Amino acid sequence: MPLKLNKISLLLVLLSISAVFFFIEDLFLGSVHIPFSNVIDILFTSSSEKLSWNIIVLESRLPRALTAILCGAALSISGLQMQTLFRNPLAGPYILGISSGAGLGVAIFIMGLGFLGISLTHLTWIGNYGIIISSIIGSSCVLFILLVSIIRLKDIMTVLILGIMIGSVASALISIIQYFSYDNSLKSFVMWMMGDLSNVSLAQLKILFPVVLLGLILSFLISKKLNTYLLGEDYAQSLGVNIKMTQFTIIIITAILAGSITAYCGPIGFVGIVVPHLARLISKSSNHIIIIPLSVLIGTNMLLISDIISQLPGSEKVIPINAITSLIGIPFIFWIIFKNKRISELN
Amino acid sequence: MNEILNIVSLCVGYDKKPVISDFNTRISSPSLVTLIGRNGEGKSTLLKTITGLLPSFSGNISFFNKEISSLSTKEKSTIFSIVLAQPPQIGNITVRDFVGFGRYPYTNWLAMNSKKDNTIIDESLALCGLTDFAQRNFANLSDGEKQKIAIARAIAQNTPVIILDEPTSHLDMVNQIEIFELLHRLVKEKQKTILISSHQLQLAMHYSDEIWLLNQGEIEINAPTFFMENKTIEQLFRLEKIKWG
Repeated sequence: MPLKLNKISLLLVLLSISAVFFFIEDLFLGSVHIPFSNVIDILFTSSSEKLSWNIIVLESRLPRALTAILCGAALSISGLQMQTLFRNPLAGPYILGISSGAGLGVAIFIMGLGFLGISLTHLTWIGNYGIIISSIIGSSCVLFILLVSIIRLKDIMTVLILGIMIGSVASALISIIQYFSYDNSLKSFVMWMMGDLSNVSLAQLKILFPVVLLGLILSFLISKKLNTYLLGEDYAQSLGVNIKMTQFTIIIITAILAGSITAYCGPIGFVGIVVPHLARLISKSSNHIIIIPLSVLIGTNMLLISDIISQLPGSEKVIPINAITSLIGIPFIFWIIFKNKRISELN
Repeated sequence: MNEILNIVSLCVGYDKKPVISDFNTRISSPSLVTLIGRNGEGKSTLLKTITGLLPSFSGNISFFNKEISSLSTKEKSTIFSIVLAQPPQIGNITVRDFVGFGRYPYTNWLAMNSKKDNTIIDESLALCGLTDFAQRNFANLSDGEKQKIAIARAIAQNTPVIILDEPTSHLDMVNQIEIFELLHRLVKEKQKTILISSHQLQLAMHYSDEIWLLNQGEIEINAPTFFMENKTIEQLFRLEKIKWG
């Protein structure tokens, strides 16, 4: 039986509190030890004993923690929307090749500029917007191919295999483009590919934040339509939903969310698949009006925790966040599959 | 009895291939009409075209005097509700919330149910004998129960016409009878117009007001007694020993 509305509200409040806790924790922990009171001083008054602490907190840890929040929320919601649209519990931006599509878009953009003799180092604004737009275009293209194939193939499992193949083709094309690229642009691209949460500056966050926020608000606005998709397209249409328009909206929102995050943070796996399942499991509900806010908060918590672990507090080494999300995510997927036995009942 | 649907020169099909052409009929309200025919004849295509889920190749379908093709998806959702052969695969939802989907065309963007919506949902559950199931998880129920819930959902949508595409095909005999019994009551008590496709020839003959017999692109329309007396159905289904009783 689904939880009552007041229990859901309580859950949302608790998750918000834990997100704030992990956010502060993320600012506090790192390779350089900065006393907690100093971190708070730096945040509110921008003053500290050492200038280097100021720089570490404001220009490194704060943007990284904020990016973790955006990343967790955006990837969770893009995964949720894809699971609903494809009616497939294993759908997510990473598996369906959407991240690879975004990568190909960025590769064509960076290396294309290289061919024209333009270096990104001199064009910060064009570079920033160009990467985000090319990434969104790349991910939208993959989503459109997937959607056309759903209409023609009908079998959702085939679409999933197709997604994996599209991902491989995109990676192959990226390799070819890399092979023929100039040194400068190749370097920019490789840096992007290794991208993680710490790559995003405060200036870039000013672009990423409104883009992600827009995607999240739009996805909440279409929750009712997403709910009807749970019944299948024919039922959804018979309930007054304009199927084509809704599919188009879902694709655009997913592309904005997954594309923009991949543009800045590189491909981060498994958050998009796991978080929506956790939200359904905890709330025992499939109602998007409940599971969208819940997924946003669970995703935020998960990415903040992953970021804290990846910093290996107390040591000077940093593990790539992608490795942490995979290590947390994959056992969850196993657990979900074994617990439910039948994949078709997961959604 | 008044005419609710008027079908004129309708041609339907899929993948650019017509399967039924020049179909003309009028459906009166309230009535229970059963469409019978062999697999692959185009029963689902015809039903989906009538509800506006698929476009027709040519011809007109009108609801009273309004042409269906000129209506928006939203307007159509207040005229037709559907029940398909396969119950939806959906977990984590109570029976009551599932039936609540029927109120979607009438609720706001957050799908908040008004007092009236809640009353209609409760009535639909009661009509289908599902009141005790209201808080059960939809995923844990049998196929027969799920189809009854799908019908309760269609009732909650409160449309004058309900269209069911082989709703009994995966069910046992008891469930099949219960569903026809329920549809019969809806026609008598709620003045609904029901169009159903089914392979349950004997139940169709017993409960329907009118039979549409689809055979090789042609539809023959008549009262069940007519089909029981001549041998068209027996020949079509190669059932020499069938006894109508």
